[in-house]
Amino acid sequence: MKKKVISLLLSLTMLTGIITGCGSNSSQSAADLLEEQGVTEIPQTDDASGEAEEEAPVEAKELDLSNQVDLVFYVMGDAPQDEEEVEAALNEKLLEKCNATVDMQFSTWTDFQQKYANEITAQSADLIYIANWLNYGQLASSGAFEELDEMLDTVAPELKRAVGETKLNMCKIDGKTYAVPNTWPEYVCNGVKYREDLRAKYNLPVPDSLENLEAYLLGIKENEPDQGLLTVTTEESQGFQTGFDAAWALNFKYPWVANNGLDYGLAANYDTPTEVYDYWYSDDFVDDMKMLKRWADEGFWSKSALSDTNNSDAYKNGLCVAEVAGQNPNKQITAIQDFENAGQGWESAYVAYGETNGVIYPGHATQNGTAIVRGCKDPERALLVLQTMLCDDEVNAIVQYGIKGKHYDVDNGIYKNLQEAAGETPTFPYEGFNTWNLRNGGSRIPQATDVKLQEMFDKYAELGLKTKFANVNIYDGFSENYDSYSAERSAVGNVMRQYLAPLEAGLVDDVDAAVEEFRSKMKDAGIDKVRDEYTKQWISYCEEYDYK
Amino acid sequence: MSKDLDFEPSAPKTIKKSTGTRIFEAISYLLLAAGSIICVLPFIIIVSGSFTDNSTILTQGYSLLPKNFTLSAYETIFKSPKDILQAYKMTIYYTVVGTGLGLMMITLTGYVISRKEFKYRNTVSFLIYFTSIFGGGMIPWYLMYANVLNLKGSTLAIWFPALMSPFLVILMRTFIVGAVPDAITESAKIDGAGHFTIFFKIVLPVLKPGLATVGLFLALGYWNDWYRSSMFSTNSSTWQLQFYLYDLLNATTAMKQMASNVSMKTADLPTESVKLAMAVVATGPVLLVYSFVQRFFVSGITVGAVKG
Repeated sequence: MKKKVISLLLSLTMLTGIITGCGSNSSQSAADLLEEQGVTEIPQTDDASGEAEEEAPVEAKELDLSNQVDLVFYVMGDAPQDEEEVEAALNEKLLEKCNATVDMQFSTWTDFQQKYANEITAQSADLIYIANWLNYGQLASSGAFEELDEMLDTVAPELKRAVGETKLNMCKIDGKTYAVPNTWPEYVCNGVKYREDLRAKYNLPVPDSLENLEAYLLGIKENEPDQGLLTVTTEESQGFQTGFDAAWALNFKYPWVANNGLDYGLAANYDTPTEVYDYWYSDDFVDDMKMLKRWADEGFWSKSALSDTNNSDAYKNGLCVAEVAGQNPNKQITAIQDFENAGQGWESAYVAYGETNGVIYPGHATQNGTAIVRGCKDPERALLVLQTMLCDDEVNAIVQYGIKGKHYDVDNGIYKNLQEAAGETPTFPYEGFNTWNLRNGGSRIPQATDVKLQEMFDKYAELGLKTKFANVNIYDGFSENYDSYSAERSAVGNVMRQYLAPLEAGLVDDVDAAVEEFRSKMKDAGIDKVRDEYTKQWISYCEEYDYK
Repeated sequence: MSKDLDFEPSAPKTIKKSTGTRIFEAISYLLLAAGSIICVLPFIIIVSGSFTDNSTILTQGYSLLPKNFTLSAYETIFKSPKDILQAYKMTIYYTVVGTGLGLMMITLTGYVISRKEFKYRNTVSFLIYFTSIFGGGMIPWYLMYANVLNLKGSTLAIWFPALMSPFLVILMRTFIVGAVPDAITESAKIDGAGHFTIFFKIVLPVLKPGLATVGLFLALGYWNDWYRSSMFSTNSSTWQLQFYLYDLLNATTAMKQMASNVSMKTADLPTESVKLAMAVVATGPVLLVYSFVQRFFVSGITVGAVKG
């Protein structure tokens, strides 16, 4: 009997092990994972002595460089083949300039959220890549990183100047700076990628509004009945904004249907961010759902779209004629290259939603940045190294492009990968260390494809100047804390997958009835509580950063 | 039964089988055939896909026979086979070292806690059970190896953590209790044998089926593992083969996802057919080896099962 009880216990624990093991494999955020393990606060090491020193007058000071410091720089992705060689070249310069070395360590793309969390808990890295998609905000407020405000003045005034007050302010969490962004404004504004050759051939309108997009797709359907039109799935709609990818096209109509807009069917216009209003319970929502239903009935997407897996190469291979979700200027550049390689005379063009709705802004400062991990061996030296890596053109070039003459060369101001040109596999490709956080807008050597990209960026920058907060991304700095409503939040997520997705995919018979059902299920799921809390947080965020 | 009857020359084979037997046989053959087709089909599709032109896969999907036959995927891989060969080498190294040392430690532990003269055997056994019920969790586990033992980046971190597992120790103890009656060890003791003589001369030889089973578990565990590379490797030259492959897939998906937020080049990612060719290169040799040594595995498990 005793044995039986024991074995039952054993198998039960094994089972839970299996279940929880699988659960943690899903893409949880680093902060969530930390919390799950019971780590709510990052252990603080004795940095009291460091703070005491920093109370000296806020003036640039000479650092004592007499002892060598070996730092670890943790970045995302996979290491380039020539990691060691480039590191050696880099360290030669760093030893000379800051008497420090840097060991680049790579997260690889497997389980990177988990490993990122580990790295911060273990405090084994000194410098670390940060980004909003790695939950910079939550990590910073739980004390994962060193405060930089004073050090920036004392140790790295050049860095502070190069980045600028505005961008540093965007990296502030609870009034303190924890990260240094790169200095290259980058536009990742979503838009529609479409086949310009087909549009011109059948004399269709440029899909720069919902009506024109519909006309464009209908025109192609009429002329080439066998041609696939849109490849849309639910893959780009896993958040709390949309349930089906085609709904992103509504961005033409509403500026706030953007990747970084508000969640839970709430909306706030760029000009008046503190005035939060409701979308899911408005009449506009019903009209939009009817339009999507019409699109579905026209056969713009497959009837099995909800269960399809995303074929990201569909456009490249001519299986669809437009993409409306998850696109950005850089993907357009890739598409142009792909079409050139395919050599079928296809042509890709791009309309950013912001061009139509008038709201356009570059990526948020926290999109690519660097922080110093709390517990760093020598935070001041680390910041000095960061300044050198970002602002010193010679060092920056080694980090970003490798060794000149071996890996790359500059041809008429354009980056040229020598190994690629010789038909070999590059052993240190462009930005081979994945240091997107060290892009220097002033000295960046563009790739051939960047010329077109820069043209697009310039166009957007001009449009962005006309907006209220000229070229400032007010949305992305917000990080939600859903501790107090996490149960309701996941219920809301389930309702979105179950009721909103088919609605937006036009797979319902009666739109009005389906909308009613969706709305009542949302009420049951506790949408009101979620929205109340979320709105409060959002408004206090807007006030903190003065987005009014 | 039917085997015995076969020896009677006058009875032709066909008559002996009743209709029931024949139906039974037909059904079981059909089921087995269906089962093996289900197992083999995916592999055929992988092999055929690896020989197919990439754009054909994307536009027309997978097929049983390669359409637009091409070797380009393999050419891409073997242009720089260094990485994959290195991953092979490391995995073989981890498997051999890990299985060898692990087997030794598990057997020794199993033997000790199976001996009646060891006073605290129940306490020790309980401590071993205990770790399988309550674990410290992922983060403490990681901190232990990375910060306390300082093994991050070393190959030790990859094979050391998996040397012993409570399950295998318990399994081994059960084997020993079942296969080695007390009378044998007692008589050896009376003859003047010490613990080591008893263990190596008497216990080990009877334990071969158990060793085969536990060794198989260990070896498969090492061969299929990727997690420890993911956690502790700081240099791709120490990667396990499975991690090398897994990361290749992850990199492709991650970078495609990332490309919606960050400007980055996604044009040079491995194509569908290259991924399939990778899978063939990585699994092919194992598949060949496996089919030869499989019968030893099977006999090892069943012999162990009867005796245990």
